[in-house]
Amino acid sequence: MTKRTKPTSHNVVPMKARFAIPRQDMPEQNPTKRAGNFLEVNLGLTADQAVIEAQRCIECGNPTCMEGCPVSIKIPDFIQLICNRDFAKAAAKIKEDNSLPAVCGRVCPQETQCEEVCVVGKRFEPVAIGRLERFVADYERLHPEEMSTESVVAESTGKNVAIVGSGPAGLATAADLIKAGHAVTVFEALHEFGGVLVYGIPEFRLPKEILRKEVAALESLGVKFIKNFIVGRTQTVHELLNEEGFDAMFLGLGAGLPRFMNIPGENLNGVYSANEFLTRSNLMRGYEFPDYDTPLYRAEHAITVGGGNTAMDAVRTSKRLGANHATIVYRRSEEEMPARNEEIHHAKDEGVHVMTLINPIEFIGDENGFVKSARCLKMALGEPDDSGRRRPIPIEGSEFEIPADMVVIAVGNGSNPLISQTTPEISTNKWGNVVTDEIGRTSMKGVFAGGDIVTGGATVILAMGAGRAAAEGINEYLKTGEWV
Amino acid sequence: MALSDIIKNMSFDEIIKLCCDQEQEAVNLYTELRNRATDDAAKLKFQELVDMETQHLVNLQTFEIEKYMDLPPANLKVTDYLTEPSKDRNLTTQEALILAAKREDKTAKLYQDLAHFFKDNVELNTFFQMMADEELRHKHDLETEYEDEFLQEG
Repeated sequence: MTKRTKPTSHNVVPMKARFAIPRQDMPEQNPTKRAGNFLEVNLGLTADQAVIEAQRCIECGNPTCMEGCPVSIKIPDFIQLICNRDFAKAAAKIKEDNSLPAVCGRVCPQETQCEEVCVVGKRFEPVAIGRLERFVADYERLHPEEMSTESVVAESTGKNVAIVGSGPAGLATAADLIKAGHAVTVFEALHEFGGVLVYGIPEFRLPKEILRKEVAALESLGVKFIKNFIVGRTQTVHELLNEEGFDAMFLGLGAGLPRFMNIPGENLNGVYSANEFLTRSNLMRGYEFPDYDTPLYRAEHAITVGGGNTAMDAVRTSKRLGANHATIVYRRSEEEMPARNEEIHHAKDEGVHVMTLINPIEFIGDENGFVKSARCLKMALGEPDDSGRRRPIPIEGSEFEIPADMVVIAVGNGSNPLISQTTPEISTNKWGNVVTDEIGRTSMKGVFAGGDIVTGGATVILAMGAGRAAAEGINEYLKTGEWV
Repeated sequence: MALSDIIKNMSFDEIIKLCCDQEQEAVNLYTELRNRATDDAAKLKFQELVDMETQHLVNLQTFEIEKYMDLPPANLKVTDYLTEPSKDRNLTTQEALILAAKREDKTAKLYQDLAHFFKDNVELNTFFQMMADEELRHKHDLETEYEDEFLQEG
């Protein structure tokens, strides 16, 4: 990350008056209308709204917001540039530390990161940092003529680095390494770049065009992208390192292996993993029916099991595909849902029904093997455990059935075992995640890893942070050749 | 002959030996599944289960009532409704946890039945109740691990 000096203040609002400025609401599509389309829900702040929101920042001497950001974006600096309506420079300032601001401005859980520790938020609503980040990133995309054309790429080092996976960790690593002067090649198993950002997150939350532009920006810096290339099958890690001339490698494969519940009836027709359901809709464009005729079940009663952002994406997708009754079934209470509050509210506004403290124990099929209902149990929260968390416990005899002609299981994802199976030198833990040190080094010389393949399913920005840390490690390794 | 009928004619040491055989059977099963597993992660999980049951075996062989006085934690019942995986194939870490938790549950029920059968024999009733509690503690730990890793619901 780049060094920071305190920015010049451009905020003309007196300090006390800043607290009286209300947090600017995000304009959004009408809920009834958007429940029938896949266009983006949030429409973005206007320039005037962005300036007003930026003026709520009190320019703390110790900007805790930066500590809350896994990639340490210079938040106060870009906010001051917004106050000065210098949006292009604000975008450039963010890009010093974050190569995917338009993505992060949309999908990062700012409320538990930078905004959670915003000093304004101690007494009032925090500064809407995520909305401002999105605003300047969108401004950059829409006004390329205002952006600096000065090259940010260092002189060539003559070193080649392979990046496996084009998700957030891979893209962040690629961005830092290309700027450092290395030749960077990104290998992607699927036919489109972006990893979970493209196959997992629906168009209504993250338009694919935004991601394509971010990838194109990296291409313009010199990153080479190769799709339909499965490392471990098309070529192995060994072959890439020993025969293709790569000096180092970064594994950013993500956690793309869906987990199931292991209850009876999970193999019935109409029961999907969230991974498959969202991939069919997003990557294979099932949402663009009839232009794309990807097989995708259109249900009357669609239930999604889980309470995270993936579950919200799945249930809202099922609603948009035509389900009259789209329901979340979650075994804890709404307070414990890992999904962002904004996503839960959006889902409810769109007519999604949320059933909490309910857990399916069996899916029941019809005579043709298609799911027709889910047998569920009611749950009660037990006493807090050592971590203070109240775990849900089934209530004996509380069984009941709900109609379900489609079920999406969104209980989490594990790591894809392909790399560990084909490269036994790379150590994994008992969950199948690749084991690394703090700078991303694996147990195999020259191979680094980061993101969900190391941590299990986490956030986009954490994956990017891991990618950046690994990029620093790779730089050092390529410079010294040391692997201690 | 029912197990309870066999046990009522045994000495306390013989009962301990019988319980040790039960734990040894678990050690043998998990060792076999560990050796058979092709998935490295599942191999590690089975090794942990071998270690856990071996420790339980050692505790029984050096049995002291004080070691078993803690009350068992709440039964989370996380795996009660899940399909039991077949032991005849390679198992994943997730299946290893389900298999082990269900096994602990069955063993706990057996000890609870024996505790009930010997409700008029204070020594045996206490012993079997403690054994059941120990199995339930294991089940709780396995289910906590299962819930934290496989039910993240993200």
